[in-house]
Amino acid sequence: MNSCEGANSFEKICSELVEMKDTSELMVDLAYSSLLLNSRELAEEVLQLEEKMDKMHTDFELSVLSRCAVEEDSKGLMALLRMGSTMERIADAAVEIAEVVLRGIEPHPILRIVIEAADETVERGIISRRSTLVGKRLKETKIPEGTGMWVLLIRRGDKWIRPRPDTVLQAGDIIIASGYSEGAEDFKRLLRGEPGKGVGKEMKRNEEEVLNDWSA
Amino acid sequence: MRRLRKIEYTPISVRETLLQLKDISELMIDLSYSAIILNDKELAKEVLELEERIDNMLYVLDMNLMLAARDPEDAEALAGVAHVGVLMNAISDAAAEIADLVLNDIEIHPVAEEVFKKTMEVLSRIVVVEGSMLVEKTVDELDLASAIGVDIIGIKRGKHWLINPEKEVIMPEDILMARGDPTGIRILERAARGEIDELM
Repeated sequence: MNSCEGANSFEKICSELVEMKDTSELMVDLAYSSLLLNSRELAEEVLQLEEKMDKMHTDFELSVLSRCAVEEDSKGLMALLRMGSTMERIADAAVEIAEVVLRGIEPHPILRIVIEAADETVERGIISRRSTLVGKRLKETKIPEGTGMWVLLIRRGDKWIRPRPDTVLQAGDIIIASGYSEGAEDFKRLLRGEPGKGVGKEMKRNEEEVLNDWSA
Repeated sequence: MRRLRKIEYTPISVRETLLQLKDISELMIDLSYSAIILNDKELAKEVLELEERIDNMLYVLDMNLMLAARDPEDAEALAGVAHVGVLMNAISDAAAEIADLVLNDIEIHPVAEEVFKKTMEVLSRIVVVEGSMLVEKTVDELDLASAIGVDIIGIKRGKHWLINPEKEVIMPEDILMARGDPTGIRILERAARGEIDELM
């Protein structure tokens, strides 16, 4: 009996690797944001993602090994395995950056100049069924323009989603966003499906600006 | 064997250095994935050059942090800063390992290569010739993102790297690292070779 999987298992291997790549990049993004905003909450998300990443890595390695490679395939598969362990290492580095935040040392003046976002908060909320956000693409929601909050992460069930302009929001999604505290109330109303007061109307932010806080 | 030289103390801005470490390590990750997907040794060599630069920067960063500590509280807090630097270096080491695969002729499986070319955004390395319409323009004024959906994330000029260029003026022989819409990339390549005078 031949227990080796057929050629279509290659798609599985590739999609697993792409998912690991996305996850490791999301973790690095969140880790830097947690440092920037001195947010324990974001740091905790990185730690949770690490568990998922470990499991993905194991599943990926098993998929590769169960291909029973013929000789001419083995070099090409080894390169994939190496890429997988590299992504895992990048994820580990993200975790350690998050741990610097979780150790909770009061930021040194030098780090504080790097951070310089002390008046920004990280907010979390769940999208209610009544919310106007349901079924909209992120770019159509104009969350930054309306509330001054920038979406960092979407959690949907056991999935962590890196926000992209085309991501469609669903009821029950947990949204984690950063921004100036004045906009937080509007942000929460928007998620609950109540009309906002428009406090944050004038504030426009985007991820680039958050990152530019480092270089400004 | 690589010749190692002594790294001397230079006063630097810790903040500036951390920012650069972050930018360079992220560029290295992008470059190394592109290098292995395209099996491009030139890209892989760029990654290793950047890796050496990160190693040097980390030494100088540590020296500056040591001089900045005045008391135990400082030391506690600065250890965190130093650790972040070390971790950025760990990320760059991971990228260098992928680049090493390329340089050691360990190619990814051709089936996977096809899939990745479709699903991952790869970087293109575009050489600018004398007389190209890009020459003497700044990256900002070209506004490539809205014109053709392409971002220039780095420029290599001789041995120097300009990362996340904005106000930099493009010069002949610059190598642009660009990412984005495949059609846009082809337009930029033609512009860089001086074949077209407008980005349309």
